[in-house]
Amino acid sequence: MSSPFSINGGACVAMRGKNCVAIACDLRLGLQSLTVSNNFPKIFQYSPTAFLGLTGLATDVSTVSELFRYKVNMYRLREERDIAPKTFAQLVSSSLYERRFGPWFVSPVVAGIDGKSGAPFICGFDSIGCIDYAADFIVSGTASDQLFGTCEGLWEPDLEPDDLFETISQALLNAVDRDALSGWGAHVYIIEKDKVTKRLLKGRQD
Amino acid sequence: MADRYSFSLTTFSPSGKLVQIEYALNAVNQGVTSLGIKAANGIVLATEKKSSTPLIDPASSSKISLITPNIGMVYSGMGPDYRVLVDKARKVSHTGYKRIYNEYPPTRILVQDVARVMQEATQSGGVRPYGVSLLIAGYDEGIEPEQQNAKPAGAEETAVDDSAEDRKKTTGKTGGILKGGPSLYQVDPSGSYFPWKATAIGKSATSAKTFLEKRYTEGLELEDAVHIALLTLKETIEGEMNGETVEIGIVGPPANHLLGYEGVEGAQGPRFRKLSPQEIEDYLTNL
Amino acid sequence: MNALVSRYSQPAYQHEGHSDNDTQKQLALDVAPSLSLNFALPPIASTASWLRAMTDDHANPNVPIKLAHGTTTLAFRFKGGIIVATDSRATAGNWIASQTVKKVIEINSCLLGTMAGGAADCQYWLAYLGMQCRLHELRHKRRISVAAASKILANLVYSYKGMGLSMGTMCAGVTPMEGPALYYVDNDGTRLAGNLFCVGSGQTFAYGVLDAEYKYDMEEDEALELGRRSILAATHRDAYSGGFVNLYHIKEEGWVRHGFNDTNPLFWKYKLEKGEFSNVTSQLV
Repeated sequence: MSSPFSINGGACVAMRGKNCVAIACDLRLGLQSLTVSNNFPKIFQYSPTAFLGLTGLATDVSTVSELFRYKVNMYRLREERDIAPKTFAQLVSSSLYERRFGPWFVSPVVAGIDGKSGAPFICGFDSIGCIDYAADFIVSGTASDQLFGTCEGLWEPDLEPDDLFETISQALLNAVDRDALSGWGAHVYIIEKDKVTKRLLKGRQD
Repeated sequence: MADRYSFSLTTFSPSGKLVQIEYALNAVNQGVTSLGIKAANGIVLATEKKSSTPLIDPASSSKISLITPNIGMVYSGMGPDYRVLVDKARKVSHTGYKRIYNEYPPTRILVQDVARVMQEATQSGGVRPYGVSLLIAGYDEGIEPEQQNAKPAGAEETAVDDSAEDRKKTTGKTGGILKGGPSLYQVDPSGSYFPWKATAIGKSATSAKTFLEKRYTEGLELEDAVHIALLTLKETIEGEMNGETVEIGIVGPPANHLLGYEGVEGAQGPRFRKLSPQEIEDYLTNL
Repeated sequence: MNALVSRYSQPAYQHEGHSDNDTQKQLALDVAPSLSLNFALPPIASTASWLRAMTDDHANPNVPIKLAHGTTTLAFRFKGGIIVATDSRATAGNWIASQTVKKVIEINSCLLGTMAGGAADCQYWLAYLGMQCRLHELRHKRRISVAAASKILANLVYSYKGMGLSMGTMCAGVTPMEGPALYYVDNDGTRLAGNLFCVGSGQTFAYGVLDAEYKYDMEEDEALELGRRSILAATHRDAYSGGFVNLYHIKEEGWVRHGFNDTNPLFWKYKLEKGEFSNVTSQLV
């Protein structure tokens, strides 16, 4: 039996731009070689500018995304404010470490913009909550090796929103085209201080 | 009649009171007076440090405590109960918040947590309510961007509504979690809590509050607030007033000299700190 | 000890000859010295189980020797001849090693072989088969039958049975004596004649479309379309199939190639113009 991280397949990537961030995921859900669904998004929104991408075991992707829905809703009710991306990242980290000896089989990615300073923020995690802060990009999923390659090749500092969209889209599409378990279309979010744009990419369907 | 209901903490009296809680408030009202004043740029907490004998080492007893780097508190009532609450407040600010979010709780969240601890003591078996009221002062960074107070160059101040709204904004800047700024809360043995601009608790609370009502003005500076706090205390204090017998804690600008290190970018010192006896003496001489 | 004796006394390649006398055997060796079947074997007693353990990534995904895998191939007989169609993806684990693999081997102008399974095994042994077929032609002065060609392959893989060869192939051809003939041969040594086969990780998806629409009395364009559509369905659902549709039609006069077409525009044509694949989202809700 293969690793729980690669049973269902899937890929996610986040990138930092100039006063903006982008996060994108593929849409495949599979059972080993069998593609079961081509509409399984892996990006979830938790505040106007805080997003979480989850790849890995699909059942955990669903459960963990709902767990954070609950936690963030409780935070918002208690504190009467939206959670900041940095704070959300810490919440993700501590929640994952809570399962240190029986982890969720997910590789999360957080992307967002700080509501107060407008500073872009991205980070990634391992499955037990170690935070990987990055100034450029974060990748996760079965196509992560390929994503590292495409991102290293395409990303450059201070990209404007439109250029960042082009960059992250090309990086994701070309990476998943070299991964058997990812692809079948993609979602891309471009997050600016007070604007979020969501787009569907029609990727290869093989 | 009252006696029949006064022993079981969790039994209401026919008139709808929990008399144990009222007795706890009585204990508070016999306690030494403490007060707090919120200024535009900070808060002052002040209390009298009474000792029954001159043989006590005044430096070793302390009534104002730091809970998190930006939050401090003071009490009126039973000293031992206060110490337990300080421990619990410090603990809950970590277990219930910092360990989860890696940042300290906003003032209101901490106040709610402490208030929950106090409320639970009014509804649990085998315990008695805490015999203290607390004043909790803290400063929050806020998550909304700073409001630009400067008006556009061409804009004339014509309507009365406009200026009224502007004033609202400046005052609204303090207290709220969204906009951040200083906030001051009182928590009672029942677990209820109230936000204040200025208030007093303890033996002479009523007269002190009357005094504060007269002295308090909107947009007060922290320095003025310390001044008013000492004047208020002076009205109620029984013994001599000096750096040894008065205790003051302030929430002000970040005290980077208390950090213990320097050269770390973005590091910020605690906003809450206690004034040294020397600092208090200095204020007293200028009174 | 017994294993050692058997290893040195009976290497598998000694039993591969298909000639009936020594002269021909000698001739075959002289003609093709470069294609010697003298393979180096691991210097251990039980070569077969060892090789299996090292290369069977189905039983253990972390095997030290990873072979390229994953395919959809199909071939079917119909009144106008035989249609052969394949995808073009090669994977090593989840890594897509190539999207442009040619999985149809043109053995001669009337004979095609398809490859599924280990890329190297298929490529090597089908090339070897091509050589044997040519030798057969020279010796007998007529083209080899599909039955005989497939049997050469079947006997060959059987001699290596259990040593980790991985191949699922089809031999398809039209000969004057047999008419359209189709054989399935795999590494177990199985050799089957039939009207319709799909082989590879995507075989079930291809069977799904093919079985539903297949009729022996199809017209040529109908049959080509069915082959193409079956491969497309398999590339869509099977992660290890994809790339291009490689399509052949074998007639009495020989085979004709009908393109090597990217599945991507093909897929969107079927979806957007014919309304098929309604499971795929093409609009953001």
